[in-house]
Amino acid sequence: MSALTFTFKQNTAQRVDLSPLVSQNLHGLSAAEIAALELQAGNARLPVAELFDISGADVQDIVIANATAKLDYIGKSSAGGKISVLGDAGAYTGMQLQGGSISVSGNAGLYLGCELKNGSIVVGGNAGDYVGGALPGNKQGMRGGSIIIKGNAGSRVGDHLRRGQILIEGDAGDYLGSRMLAGTIAVLGQVGRYPGFAMRRGTLLLWNTPPLPAYFNDCGANTFAFLPLLFASFKGLNSRFADSGLAFSRARRYGGDIVEGGRGEILVKV
Amino acid sequence: MLIKLTGGTVYDPNSGVAGQKQDIYIEDGRIIAPPAADRAVDREYDVSGKVVMAGAIDLHSHIGGGKGNIARTLLPEDHRLDPVARTLITRSGNGHVIPSTFVTGYRYAEMGYTAAFEPALLPINARQAHMEMGDIPILDKGGYVMLGSDDYLLRMLTAKKDQKAINDYVAWTMNAAKAIGVKVVNAGGINAFKFNQRKLDLDEQNVHYGVTPRQILQTLARALQELGVTHPLHVHGCNLGVPGNVDTTLHTIDGIEGLPMHLTHIQFHSYGKEGDYKFSSGAATIAEAINRNKNITADVGQVMFGQTVTASGDSMRQHYNHRFAHPDKWICMDIECDAGCGVVPFKYRDQNFVNALQWAIGLEIFLLVDDPWRVFLTTDHPNGAPFMSYPHLIRLLMDKSFRNDMLARIHPEAQKMTTLGSIEREYSLQEIAILTRAGAARILGLKDRGALSPGNWADITVYTEDADREKMFAKPNFVFKDGELVAKDGEIVQVTWGTTHVAQPEYDPSVEVELKQYFDRYLTMKLGNFKISDDEITETGRGSITVHPLRGAA
Repeated sequence: MSALTFTFKQNTAQRVDLSPLVSQNLHGLSAAEIAALELQAGNARLPVAELFDISGADVQDIVIANATAKLDYIGKSSAGGKISVLGDAGAYTGMQLQGGSISVSGNAGLYLGCELKNGSIVVGGNAGDYVGGALPGNKQGMRGGSIIIKGNAGSRVGDHLRRGQILIEGDAGDYLGSRMLAGTIAVLGQVGRYPGFAMRRGTLLLWNTPPLPAYFNDCGANTFAFLPLLFASFKGLNSRFADSGLAFSRARRYGGDIVEGGRGEILVKV
Repeated sequence: MLIKLTGGTVYDPNSGVAGQKQDIYIEDGRIIAPPAADRAVDREYDVSGKVVMAGAIDLHSHIGGGKGNIARTLLPEDHRLDPVARTLITRSGNGHVIPSTFVTGYRYAEMGYTAAFEPALLPINARQAHMEMGDIPILDKGGYVMLGSDDYLLRMLTAKKDQKAINDYVAWTMNAAKAIGVKVVNAGGINAFKFNQRKLDLDEQNVHYGVTPRQILQTLARALQELGVTHPLHVHGCNLGVPGNVDTTLHTIDGIEGLPMHLTHIQFHSYGKEGDYKFSSGAATIAEAINRNKNITADVGQVMFGQTVTASGDSMRQHYNHRFAHPDKWICMDIECDAGCGVVPFKYRDQNFVNALQWAIGLEIFLLVDDPWRVFLTTDHPNGAPFMSYPHLIRLLMDKSFRNDMLARIHPEAQKMTTLGSIEREYSLQEIAILTRAGAARILGLKDRGALSPGNWADITVYTEDADREKMFAKPNFVFKDGELVAKDGEIVQVTWGTTHVAQPEYDPSVEVELKQYFDRYLTMKLGNFKISDDEITETGRGSITVHPLRGAA
């Protein structure tokens, strides 16, 4: 069975809510029924067929082709299967994902993988602010799974992060890991201002020394036995993080945010 | 235009009509006597076999004022559960525990309510509250101005000013804030909290002013009596939610010395401290006291199971309750030395002993107070439950077997601690009409609402008789507001704008001399700006002010 492919006609200037197009919703529907599903596009509700050319049938293997940054909520709460986005994805991609995988060949918008529960997301390009974060007002962000970003990420990556890992091959913006509760964020590139702001627990793993804020204490350089194990777990990933040349076991540790008890840490390669 | 509702079964307690078949005629927004036989009817609604009542009135519902917005800001996740899309005639918004202003109006009207009163109109925030209520469509509204913890009144009491001076201040504030009544919240307690007192009993002195809650209640109740304001002092008592507070409530009733007093959300003030959990029902004692003291009225403030948010001026008690917040976040604040505010989200659970017993206590009070004219149907929206739960509550009151089914589901220890299962009483439709219409209109002093006799405004709700009272009261067939059909089968069909009900007791204008000095020295606002003018409510073209008569000084 070939992948169920939605090719975006790019015939609307409005943002489109793609949340209905996930495997558990489409399971058992005929091609005609899928074509007739309604999507919210700006203030109108339009059938899928009006916005997309549809081909293929395998709901466990969904492709969104010719995609643009106007397509929001791709794979929202998806329970399983694979979703491939060819092009850019809009905001809330992979929000509350429960399982399976999402890949985006281009860039992703705001709130990528926000409140992610399980499963994995790989973005080929850049991602916006609040990667793996919590919706405004909510108290927990991503709770499991992994997000890999091959380009750069915006500000407040991992806001309220609770568990899981976010791996960024490029740079990260300001307030990396703000209000983090636990979990791991690794950044190969540069990091913006105020990393670990109001962080309670968890680890920021960095290859370059960030501008260190006053609310972190230098705990000195150490050899960490867990780091080789962590890098070993990256081995199978489709990412530069799988490259054993990047691995290290000696790092300088900064403890903080002291305001929140200082049990979080920033580990910087020495 | 002459409108006729033909053949309905009318329940109008004010005129003593209880289930008689009657035609109702409406012209120019008001109900009129049957016109001459040769007059042509322009619009006729066949309501034969249907139940016809006046539009319902909620006399205690937090629909305006800053705390609603604080609750909305605090709970974005709650709004996400109930988005409301616009239609051609209604605006978008959010529902659930603290709906947006527009949705508040729509949801009330869809349920057959045509008026709701904001019980905590803080004088310094009154303008915002009126503006917010000005955005609530269809409903009539009004407010009770909150006094008793304000610095100015407490200073007056400390200085032993005479009753006349207090009366002038109360009357002036009611006029300036455009209120129909006066409310006291935890008399003096909100203020005492700022001086680090964490509880304040009826006879306990405020450490700074040396004033007791009993003094405040007596002084304000007497002021309203002497000013002739119809709505009695609206009292949120001391020790809200404290086990054993039933004694406080009884002392409050005795302490008012026969003056008219309305005890609000009395369910929260009817707790004993017996049993293994040191928490028990004081409902029977309280109901007995209400039955005995004819000067006392009460609304219940029923709790219903599920998520809600408590928003109260009682920062002292809300600060204590923050440990029960669900989700775990809360706000307490001072408001310009005038009063306070506490917002604590809350989830009442039927398998929690205390919550389950609270539910039973509320129902016990409803069923044990004999006189339906002196008890009112409220959930203290949103504190006990959102107002959307009223149809369910009505079914609990009218249907004993349903009530007992619900009782069987709550925490088993709570079932043992309540006499609810043995109470046979079922409310009749006429009694429901008293609780939700006639009684409320009477105690508020609304001169031409809440009744269906000629001369009244045509606020009318038409229900289809159904043994399932929840279904019956959830979606009335027709709701008329001022003679206009606004909702049909639970859907809004026309959006109108209600009036703001006020009372205007007289005062000596010289009261402003001292007040001006006080405002200039202590407050963030000048006296001239504090007073709300009629124009501010009417200039949008949709608001209006209706002044209700005083009952005459006693």
